[in-house]
Amino acid sequence: MTTEHILTTRGLTMRFGGVTAVDNVDFNLRDGELRCLLGPNGAGKSTFFKCLTGQLTPTEGKITFAGQDVTGALTHQIVNLGVGIKTQVPNVFDGISAYENVRLSARRKHLAPMARELTHTTLERCGITHLAKREVGLLSHGQRQLVELAMVLAGEPKLILLDEPAAGMTGDERDRLAQLVLESARSAAVVVVEHDMAFIRQIAKFVTVFNRGAIFREAMIDDIMQDREVQEIYLGKQANVAAA
Amino acid sequence: MEKPVTRDPGFYVMVAIGLAVMFIAPVMLDLFTIMQITQYVVLSVFALSLGYIWGFGGILSFGQAAFFGLGAYTFAVASINMGSTTIPMVLAFVIPTLFGAALGYFMFYGRLSDVYLGVVTLVVALIFWKLINHTAGPEYSIGSARLGGFNGIPSIPTLHVPGDPSAWLDPGQMFQVFMGFLLVIYVALRFLIASDFGRVSISIRENETRSSLLGYDVRKHKVIVFAIGGGIAGIAGAMWATYQAFIDPNSVSMEMSAKALVWVMAGGVGTLVGPIIGCILLQWLTLQLGTVDVVNSIAVLGAIMMVLVLALPKGIVPTARSLLLGGYILWKRNHGQAIPGKVVKE
Amino acid sequence: MDYTIVVALEMVRAVAWLVLLASGLAIIFGMMRIINFAHGEFLMLGGYTVVISTGHGVNEWIAMLVLAPIVVGIFGVLVERLVIQRLYGRILDSLLATWGLSMLMIGGVTMIFGNSVTGVATPLGGMSIGAYQVPRYNFVLIFAAIALLLAIWAVLKFTKAGLIARATMQNPDMSEALGIPTRWVYMATFGIGSAITGFAGALLAPLTGVVPTMGVNFIAQSFITVITGGASVITGTLSAATLLGSISQGMTFLTGPVYGDAALLLAALVLLRLLPQGITGRIFKKSL
Repeated sequence: MTTEHILTTRGLTMRFGGVTAVDNVDFNLRDGELRCLLGPNGAGKSTFFKCLTGQLTPTEGKITFAGQDVTGALTHQIVNLGVGIKTQVPNVFDGISAYENVRLSARRKHLAPMARELTHTTLERCGITHLAKREVGLLSHGQRQLVELAMVLAGEPKLILLDEPAAGMTGDERDRLAQLVLESARSAAVVVVEHDMAFIRQIAKFVTVFNRGAIFREAMIDDIMQDREVQEIYLGKQANVAAA
Repeated sequence: MEKPVTRDPGFYVMVAIGLAVMFIAPVMLDLFTIMQITQYVVLSVFALSLGYIWGFGGILSFGQAAFFGLGAYTFAVASINMGSTTIPMVLAFVIPTLFGAALGYFMFYGRLSDVYLGVVTLVVALIFWKLINHTAGPEYSIGSARLGGFNGIPSIPTLHVPGDPSAWLDPGQMFQVFMGFLLVIYVALRFLIASDFGRVSISIRENETRSSLLGYDVRKHKVIVFAIGGGIAGIAGAMWATYQAFIDPNSVSMEMSAKALVWVMAGGVGTLVGPIIGCILLQWLTLQLGTVDVVNSIAVLGAIMMVLVLALPKGIVPTARSLLLGGYILWKRNHGQAIPGKVVKE
Repeated sequence: MDYTIVVALEMVRAVAWLVLLASGLAIIFGMMRIINFAHGEFLMLGGYTVVISTGHGVNEWIAMLVLAPIVVGIFGVLVERLVIQRLYGRILDSLLATWGLSMLMIGGVTMIFGNSVTGVATPLGGMSIGAYQVPRYNFVLIFAAIALLLAIWAVLKFTKAGLIARATMQNPDMSEALGIPTRWVYMATFGIGSAITGFAGALLAPLTGVVPTMGVNFIAQSFITVITGGASVITGTLSAATLLGSISQGMTFLTGPVYGDAALLLAALVLLRLLPQGITGRIFKKSL
């Protein structure tokens, strides 16, 4: 443990009534690391993210971010320490323009002129400059994903959490996204939840697999792909879903 | 909404109309009519207070009259005691603002849901109304001002030139000063809404979760918006008190809160001009109906409120705006021109 | 000693009073998550039912126990069909619409019956506890509140309708997914809630007299009790009524009735600051 951990959780547990959505998770993320989270639907990945961002207060356990204990802290406090999240369902401001959406994020840390510049560069990075003036509520799902990603990036976070960022994207959009994720990982730690295997192969190195709220496996992507048990929980589940 | 206020022609049109009314009306109209219009001006300020917090902060207060009444009573008590109206006017802004901040703290830091918020604001106004109603006895006085319970406080001083309590304003001047208040508050709100603070408020209205995920403290923001709305309602109350030279618990009543809601609903949530138009239109209507004995004005207000919710949920101004826009598109279409990409729905 | 009994009795009566006022509202809130802003006017309607029917020679007990719930219950179903059901999923709009209805009812009743108070004689007279006179009617109120809660409990616990209601209270989306006809459940809920409110209004009539604007005097107490209680009808109403009833009655004994209401509000605000979902949102979650 020589490298610095930007994020650690110890015994993180989240229960809803009788259901344990996140079960005693010990998670470590090095500064600047790019990590993929895999796991079937309902494995607790999104709940795990919600605990990390303070949207849910964990039932038990401890979360440390950048050396600070953030267990039970409020969302905006955690975010201001340098966490940015793209949620599973796009969480954007529908009634206002894409530009204004991103600017609201950029303005958080910067004065107006600097924020304007950052907004423009971020929109360009995400390839949505042409959408700047459009009302976000009228954009396609994939475009809204990109707007939300731009909002996350414009906040210049130290830790980026991306919950199914590729969902609803066209091939081109997805390629750009993969490039963006790799690019962002140079300046920040990134955790990506994704089901899209093609996308995962483009970006993943080290992978954590969730199953039933707990960490099931942690290994390099190639080993994970070969792992019989991982295939079983994944495919078994997906086969069930397909059957249903 | 995102372009700067100074580049919005609509803004200049509104200010020009306001200034024109302010200076031309006293010359053109007789005294009685001027006094009638003054009432609309005062209530428009009240309408703006709710229009702002509801339309631009997403806070639906069911008890806005609490602030209106608090401002009115603050002004009445302070001006009777001080014999001057300048500082009382300031107090009528400051005290309701502080009260709004305190109440807002309980509601927003407690993370009450919308329904609870509505009920709590309503109940606060109701209890204020009950308390005031019970202050009829002589033991309920603050300094030399008796609260008077359901009888109200009479002989509230007329507004005077700051620093010279003997220089009372005549009705024409009072009208102009109040128009000035309305304009200043309108302009201030326009700039506030266009400022970074205002944009964050709008973002909170759009999506609270995302705002906090960007690092904005939603609770703090809402408290501030709510307090500002309270302060503006307080000024409206003070204007009402000095305009009538009298104030009674009706200013805090449920009916008063309901009126503000109906004005904003009628005019359109999410605009500032809408609430003013709604206020003027409906007050005028009430005045007309008041001359008919058979019809009860509360029943009419209630019926309008129900119809607005069920039939015209967007309000007059946004409906008119989309009708106009729709007409514009039709016109364009008939003239064989491209439709602007912005209005194409996916 | 006698005084202590009288004070204790008053406390219990205050709690019973809040239970009666709030139960109908709580059922509607618990099931549909909306607050009926015309609640006070539903009480008023119950009161007028008693005044009018006793005026036509109907026995006062029949008027209170049978006619008032039926009349207001039917009215509630009408309101649900004509107004509320158009606004499902728009909670704030339904509040605004029922507020409009409230004013429409006040105005309408004023146009028909005028704006004066009609008294209703308090049945049963008084009795003495030591040196103190206590109206026997107080016991009617206490008994009615207990009976009401027991009846709601029994229906929820032992009938099929109660099972559906409990399911809907716990998880409205899931109930709909399970094929429970939510629309009918809501209509029935609103009707039953209204009937109970009419019953409460009838019981209040002898104490307060009946006047079109009477509702406004009760809604603050009713609303506070319901939102402080949270979503569970019986536990919520009973715990909130007990807590708030004792606080306000205690305050009334100390300083007079005016501050009783203010104390009620203050207590509720502090409580909601600590438990934003009401008492049963955090504690007694699984209760009825």
